[in-house]
Amino acid sequence: MGLVQREIEAAGISTVSLSMIPEFTAKVGVPRLAGIAHPMSRPMGRPGDADGQRAVLSATLEVLRTATAPGTWVDLPFTWPESVAVARRCEEEPPPIAKLLRRKPWLLPRFYAGDIPRDER
Amino acid sequence: MDSYRYLDFATRQIIRAWVEREPTRPSPWTPLPRPLERCTVALVSTAGVARRDDVPFDEERERENPWWGDPTVRRIPRETTGREVEIHHLHIERRFAREDLDVVLPLRRLDELVASGTVGASAPTHYSLMGYILDPTELIRDTTPRLVAAMKAEGVEAVVLVPA
Repeated sequence: MGLVQREIEAAGISTVSLSMIPEFTAKVGVPRLAGIAHPMSRPMGRPGDADGQRAVLSATLEVLRTATAPGTWVDLPFTWPESVAVARRCEEEPPPIAKLLRRKPWLLPRFYAGDIPRDER
Repeated sequence: MDSYRYLDFATRQIIRAWVEREPTRPSPWTPLPRPLERCTVALVSTAGVARRDDVPFDEERERENPWWGDPTVRRIPRETTGREVEIHHLHIERRFAREDLDVVLPLRRLDELVASGTVGASAPTHYSLMGYILDPTELIRDTTPRLVAAMKAEGVEAVVLVPA
């Protein structure tokens, strides 16, 4: 996401990204970043919580409005109302890469190193 | 803030390794061309949102080759509702976005901020990518220029990117 943000900004459009892992997004080198301590899959907030979602969008836009230099990173003050255990609860089946690495753990170092086999289809 | 609190152990280790590896780059910069109250804003979600009447993101090919992720983009017109889309992303809990699209693509919340005067306008078209892309070659070479051209054609002046 950060790489795409950089391209849009470089093309002359102002950008801000929200991020649940701002440390990672910041490292990519983005112009404006709003960190949020929300669980994955729910960046804007809980389903049906329009007020909460609107507050997150407003706060993210505020970073866009007020930033004056590239690399602006603001952690938003929102907290998640559920326990970590509840927030992490997973109902989906594991993604294909997780199943592959469980079957072939010797590929893990390649995954860690970002040594990705090209798909030449 | 703790970036890793909601991640499971394996994901946390991987992200830490990637943060270590990522080179530091200077960031580009484009100031807002006018006050936000007069800007046209577009949203980009990486939740793999596609309209049901559009081509879905390719989940099958990722199942065949788990190192691959669909690097294309989908256009989501401003009026699109949750009933008109499907979420194609094999790495997120899709039930939340299926229940309420604004959890990942806040089109209705943006409409409200336009109505209240915080934002000038919501762009006619918003966009979605599928965020699991280990090799960004095609994403940056092919997809992003098309995305930028489409935004410029509609007078987009500011973009909010929302992860999933």
